[in-house]
Amino acid sequence: MPNSVDINVHHITRVEGHGNIRVRATDGTIEQVEWQVPEAPRFFEAMVRGRDFQDIQTIVSRICGICSVTHSLASLKAVEDAMGITVSDQTDKLRILAHYGEQIESHSLHVGYLVAPDLLGVKSVVPLIESHPDVVKTIIRVHRLGNDWMELIGGRRTHPVSLRVGGMGMIPSERELMALKKDIQERIPDVKTIAEVVLSLADKLPDFNRDTEYIALTDPDYYTFYHGDIASTDVADTQPVGNFESVVNEYVVDQSTAKWAKWHRDSYAVGALARFNINGDQLLPLARKTADMFGLEKGCCNPYMNNVAQLVEIVQVMEHSIQLIDELLEAGLENEFANPKPRAGNGAGAVEAPRGILFHRYEFDDNGKCLGGNISIPTNQNHGNIQKDFESLVPQMIERPQDEIRMALEMLVRAYDPCISCSTHMLNVEFV
Amino acid sequence: MLNSSKAVTPKSTIVVGLGNTLMCDEAVGVKLVQALETTVARNFPAVEFADYGTAGMRVLHGIANRQKAVIVDCALMNTPPGTIRRFMPDDVRSIKGMPGFSLHEGDLLSILEISEQLGERPPEIVIFGIEPATVAPGEELSQKLAAKFNSYLEMVRQELQE
Repeated sequence: MPNSVDINVHHITRVEGHGNIRVRATDGTIEQVEWQVPEAPRFFEAMVRGRDFQDIQTIVSRICGICSVTHSLASLKAVEDAMGITVSDQTDKLRILAHYGEQIESHSLHVGYLVAPDLLGVKSVVPLIESHPDVVKTIIRVHRLGNDWMELIGGRRTHPVSLRVGGMGMIPSERELMALKKDIQERIPDVKTIAEVVLSLADKLPDFNRDTEYIALTDPDYYTFYHGDIASTDVADTQPVGNFESVVNEYVVDQSTAKWAKWHRDSYAVGALARFNINGDQLLPLARKTADMFGLEKGCCNPYMNNVAQLVEIVQVMEHSIQLIDELLEAGLENEFANPKPRAGNGAGAVEAPRGILFHRYEFDDNGKCLGGNISIPTNQNHGNIQKDFESLVPQMIERPQDEIRMALEMLVRAYDPCISCSTHMLNVEFV
Repeated sequence: MLNSSKAVTPKSTIVVGLGNTLMCDEAVGVKLVQALETTVARNFPAVEFADYGTAGMRVLHGIANRQKAVIVDCALMNTPPGTIRRFMPDDVRSIKGMPGFSLHEGDLLSILEISEQLGERPPEIVIFGIEPATVAPGEELSQKLAAKFNSYLEMVRQELQE
């Protein structure tokens, strides 16, 4: 019998933007399928205007508590690009190391706190503490590693202070780096345990595939989150980061106040699966083994597998971090006293946030005062693709029970690991 | 304790400031902790002052196995703007609407619940909630909260003396 469906996952609080899911169908005829994103206007660009080039990182690191290293690095790269500043090999490596701490923290949090409850059929991580205490404690150990790691390299647990224009404001000692290496090595078995748990539940990930364009940074030398040009799975040629506006092609749609993005098609996807699909041949051995456990191969177009790609990336950044620490220790650490001189210019920077490629652009006058900025966040780049996934998935499921459709759509949104309602986190309580 | 952990021996009390410094009164918790750190921290050697900004989940690690946690945050409490209230987690229930789509949704009370379930929650948790007047893009507190800022500082300082 043809199904009638009315799904309205709608969350509006006083100050926050959330994504809403709207699906309506009558007697099997689909009337509405929408991913709606009532996002607050982007104000960060206005906030940096008139500010000194050395203050930009401090401001933008506050945009997001989870991606604060990524925003910091994208802004530093853009500022340095505008002013022709190059950084040392040591700074490059320490920045990447700080960024990896953020990747581990974010990916483990996402897989453990948002995806695992879906796979185990509960609403949140809280009931899992009782039903699966060892799994939750393992996830928290990995999350805690990322947290302490960022304090070590970034100078504090959140909103890093050591990442500066032209170099590092402070550097870890060799002893601290050796200790970090030991911590990473000790946590690798934990990640293997998490991967085995997810693998045992992988049949709960919907088998949904839609041919998709994927976009990520690519670098000939390694599986990059930081260096390189912009690549697409649709074309062989890459684009320099300075051309990012011609990649993102932001446009406005009626159903969302957040801007959407398209390049060679009506939409594209960014994030862990995009990176894997573009750079998967460059994975280090343990990460490759993790991908093989799940049969994950380049060309995968199942958005739910983004969760698996995140697991693979946790292993990848742990392996690469050990290499980087060895290289830093071998070279010997040196204090750097960067004293960058301002000059007029316009520059762009790109860094892979846990949830996809992030672009920053700034323009400065002769004194290093910011004349304007532009930030393109990964979640906005994914909105159009989520909509296209919805349009493909809902007709395939329309005869299924409404709750099953709703759950599949919610899991799909979660799989993209979106950054929404990021700007405010305040308590909202009533006294009992 | 991790080998690479900065803190060799965690201090017994932590004061955590939460909020977004780019959203006016949302920042009040962070600004209070920053002010305490520069003005009175030397008088409280057993207290760590921590600006966690908008990284709510990190509270889980920051408060783990301490004796006391004091959390200062902007809070919608249905009280006049500028009101500060001192309460315990059990005194309130969250009415925050969260669809569970994103890591970026923060709910302090659920983090405290996880901490308790893990057996890491400090025996004493005190929350100072401050009702905002303005939550909008901007780096300054509203006049309403700015005028009361020193009285908020004094309340939190007194909490640490007890």
